[in-house]
Amino acid sequence: MEQRLVNTWRMTVNEKKFIESALESELRIDGRRPFDYRRVTIKFGRFAILREDGSSEVQLGQTHVMSFVTSQLVQPYRDRPNEGTLSVFTEFSPMADPSFEVGCPSESAVELGRIIDRGLRESRAVDTESLCVVAGKWVWSIRIDLHILDNGGNLVDAANIAALAALLTFRRPECTLGGDDGQEVIMHPPEAHWVSNHHVREPLSLTIHHLPIAVTFAFIGDENMVIDPTHHEEAVMGGRMSVTLNSNGEVCAVQKAGQGVMQSVVMQCLRIVSVKAGDVTSKIKTAVESYNTERALKMVKRHAPPSKAVDVSEPGQKAKQILEGQKLKSEECSVSQSDDMDVDQVHTYIHALKELTHLRGDVFLVSKDPYSEGVNTDELKATLASCGSVAVPMKLVNLGDSIRDETKSDEPLSDVNPVSSSTDSAGKETRCC
Amino acid sequence: MTSTTVSSFIDKPVVPGDVILDLSKMTDQTLKLGGGLQQDQDAITVVQAGILRFSKPNKYWIESSHKRYIPTVGDTILGIVVDQRAESFFVDIKGPMVAFLPVLAFEGGTRRNIPKFEVGTLIYARVVKANTGMNPELSCMDASGKAAEFGPLKDGYMFESSTGLSRMLLSSPTCPVLEGLGKKLAFEIAVGLNGRVWVNAEHKSSIILVANAIMNSESLTPVQQKIMVERLLDRVN
Repeated sequence: MEQRLVNTWRMTVNEKKFIESALESELRIDGRRPFDYRRVTIKFGRFAILREDGSSEVQLGQTHVMSFVTSQLVQPYRDRPNEGTLSVFTEFSPMADPSFEVGCPSESAVELGRIIDRGLRESRAVDTESLCVVAGKWVWSIRIDLHILDNGGNLVDAANIAALAALLTFRRPECTLGGDDGQEVIMHPPEAHWVSNHHVREPLSLTIHHLPIAVTFAFIGDENMVIDPTHHEEAVMGGRMSVTLNSNGEVCAVQKAGQGVMQSVVMQCLRIVSVKAGDVTSKIKTAVESYNTERALKMVKRHAPPSKAVDVSEPGQKAKQILEGQKLKSEECSVSQSDDMDVDQVHTYIHALKELTHLRGDVFLVSKDPYSEGVNTDELKATLASCGSVAVPMKLVNLGDSIRDETKSDEPLSDVNPVSSSTDSAGKETRCC
Repeated sequence: MTSTTVSSFIDKPVVPGDVILDLSKMTDQTLKLGGGLQQDQDAITVVQAGILRFSKPNKYWIESSHKRYIPTVGDTILGIVVDQRAESFFVDIKGPMVAFLPVLAFEGGTRRNIPKFEVGTLIYARVVKANTGMNPELSCMDASGKAAEFGPLKDGYMFESSTGLSRMLLSSPTCPVLEGLGKKLAFEIAVGLNGRVWVNAEHKSSIILVANAIMNSESLTPVQQKIMVERLLDRVN
């Protein structure tokens, strides 16, 4: 009993009265006006050793939420044999708020998870069909873990932003079908130092159609309404409404608890949310973009050393072999769907170049890659640059043509010592970037 | 009597394990140790990270900033009434245990006139007992039995900060934040050493301004504090 008294955070009568009366004159305790949002800071995790993608940390004022996205190959549900799964898990640490208890998740933890799950899943924001590997047998299961690190109020919005940011940066390892019967799933490791006898391939990002943004309102007193309530305001509020909306203005989910509100108020909320959702979306996008650029730059550095190793051993024969294989593949690709031709060619070209850099001479056949749309242009550019191509055009549309040119220019690779020269140029390129 | 030896660590940051005094060389002295220090045979060692403070003639203690408060006798604190029993009120003081405030510990308190506080009342009180393993005891009287300034605080706004910030606000000379704000605004303030600050003023906007200025000043140097307060006041006027 007594320990419980110590652990529960409580509010004084003074605070309660002050928050209510200050709102009458449109004032809030942190100096905001009723419809101001707190500052959002999005950071991406670089602390995990093997998996640096798919983790994010979001700060919304004092609120601090960390999110991890992980994937696993599982059997699909019977009724949806060709769809991957998406699940949300929440973790409320007692460090964030003494009222959170260890062990069974509290009501608010379940509610938070449900709101985010609903916003993401029922609006079909994440393309689950592209997560299918073998229909009825293997699909990717995406798991989002949300850790509340500090509770400063409005956990729903912060957790939602964290989940989206983590999903946007998450990349799953590419896998293809192989083996004797063509049914064996081959996982391609994302990095060369992973212990695996399969080819290294760039991991794939998820296909995300739109970003459902949650915005929370608190209803305090009879008529007052605030956006993005703090911890203190949440303790005073009579009701709450979370609206999940995407930047197109489509309502994905609504969650309302507590006192009743007028229809007109709900409509007013929705209008405000549509503006705020746009702001938050652009914030998330800029953060993700800068992270992707950084990652692409890092890739350039990482790929440089192994390509130097090429001229130590005998490169001529293998390079020739690869290039032949590559020509073969590009022919094959041009036969395949003409819509994706550009992208596909880029893709096959990259594989060929990568093998060249990693001295893997064996020719392999690539089946038509269903995920080629998911390939990040930044990564493409980076990989091309790192493999010694001369100038990479900025637009994906032009990539196909220029690569055809480059293939010609790179053809005399089987000469005396061509790889080292291309490596040098690659080094210069990198510095220019 | 030998001349008094003073630790060379005074007003410097210390960490647990630091030996601030060697008693073997100073036989005839009496020392008073405050929070964060421990006697270990002939050595006085630090058990808590913070800044070593010294007060003449012989008091030593460690000052640090925490979000949790460890009660010390004589501290003035802001508590929140959690529960009422026949003998005492249970008061939350941000410590490891709830504190007891005896119903008779008010000026002129008798069995007949027991004060009534609803749960959530903010009380300015003094710590009178703080023994390990026991609930600390508070009092709303000063040592001579007068109410002084102690008692419930009405209206205004209370916010929580760290113990270090409270100490800064109470330090003399007056800290730049309060001095700067006091020049332009009229407000009442009560600072509890347990990291709670209560502010009251005529206008709600000034309460908000003062509260936020104080909360922001935690990690600022005196010069920065001055600049911040000036900017805030400029924006308001």
